[in-house]
Amino acid sequence: MIASPLAATTLFHLGPVAITVPVATTWGIMLGLAGGSRLLTRRLALHPSTRQAALELAVDAIATQIRETMRADPAPYLPLIGTLFLFILTANWSSLLPGIEPPTAHLETDAALALIVFCAIPWFGIRTRGLRGYLGTFAEPSLLMVPLNLVETLTRTFSLLVRLFGNVMSGVFVIGIVLSLVGLLVPVPLMALELLTGAVQAYIFAVLAMVFISAVTVPPRPPDKESKAWT
Amino acid sequence: MHLDWSTLALQTVNVLVLLWLLQRYLFRPVMAIIAARRQAAETLLTEAAQQRAAAQATAEDLARRAQGSAAEAEQLRAAAQTEAAAERARLLAEARAEIDKLRADAAAALRRDRAAQRHALESEARALAVTIAFRLLSRLPGPAATAAMLARLDADLAALPPEQLRALAGPLDVVSAAPLSAEEQAACAALLARRIDPSLSLQFSVDPALLAGIDLRAAHAVLRRSWQAELDRIGQDLTLEEADAGPVLA
Repeated sequence: MIASPLAATTLFHLGPVAITVPVATTWGIMLGLAGGSRLLTRRLALHPSTRQAALELAVDAIATQIRETMRADPAPYLPLIGTLFLFILTANWSSLLPGIEPPTAHLETDAALALIVFCAIPWFGIRTRGLRGYLGTFAEPSLLMVPLNLVETLTRTFSLLVRLFGNVMSGVFVIGIVLSLVGLLVPVPLMALELLTGAVQAYIFAVLAMVFISAVTVPPRPPDKESKAWT
Repeated sequence: MHLDWSTLALQTVNVLVLLWLLQRYLFRPVMAIIAARRQAAETLLTEAAQQRAAAQATAEDLARRAQGSAAEAEQLRAAAQTEAAAERARLLAEARAEIDKLRADAAAALRRDRAAQRHALESEARALAVTIAFRLLSRLPGPAATAAMLARLDADLAALPPEQLRALAGPLDVVSAAPLSAEEQAACAALLARRIDPSLSLQFSVDPALLAGIDLRAAHAVLRRSWQAELDRIGQDLTLEEADAGPVLA
């Protein structure tokens, strides 16, 4: 019998706190990412080795993507966006390991990621434009849009959560069903598709986070003359 | 829909911790090394630009120095050429002056030599002429020559002024080249008595050096009418003419 994808198996308890499988998997992913980073960045040099060049290429690709999407200096956003992308990608691809269920297939992990993005938006908005400027973004393009913008803030966060959870959970669910029905080799194309889906979902989550943050950090462009004439 | 709040909180904390870990061990070091490499590249480019500017400045400086050296060399060459030309002109002038002096000295020496040679030749010619005249006269008949000499003596005495004639008065020595015969002595005595003094005392003597003719030798005067005296006079006249003629060579 296949367990409900909405329920997480509890491994053990730390006092009153139940340690579930997604949490433990996340710890493993954290250990791998942080340890790998520590190993890879232990001996950085001006004349890079092949490994260092590949690492710099990956980080620089993320920074370039942030610069092109947000039209801003990527330095303040690189840790958050980069961490989101790398964690989601690693978590999605962790399903390739036998017996490992991706943490992003559980609602709590996706909710945590969406919650972090939800909190990062006002953080960067206030930091960049000040509290008044950030609050002013809710009245863009006009004051009538304030209720809609407030609702949108909640709904877009919810959409982040549901999109990631739905895609990953459905992929795991479908692979589990096929695996239980057919067995070996048949789920392989589906697993490859799941790899692609995982990478796309990580990219989409990171890009949407950038778009939501840049919406409150970049001042709106003044309306051009043509639009003024029409109004 | 069931949501495990503790798992949500743990996962939130986990992601934040992962964020901090990756920031510390991945993004910050990699971005730092990228920035350091970019800075090193910019420093390298700046230094390269500075070095290139310095090299260009050095090249321009060297070019200016080369031009200055060329101009200086040209000036030195021109000065050396001018100095050499002046030295050459001076040496030429000195050589020309030396040559002129040597030529003048040579011309003077040549003139002197020619004058001396001419003088010697003329002396020899004169002596030869006297010798030839002596030989020719020695072949002349004595009485005819003596008669001619007496006739000329008579003419000369007639032309003398009276005061000079008075100087010949007194004892008078009549010198002839050859001994006079008695007739010739008588004719001479008659001539002298008629022209000078009738009471004149005469003494006849012989001097072959006279060649021909007669010399009258008084106490205070001599009247030479011998050929020797004539030849001496002619020789003196020739010498005077040569002196008046001036240098022969320029």
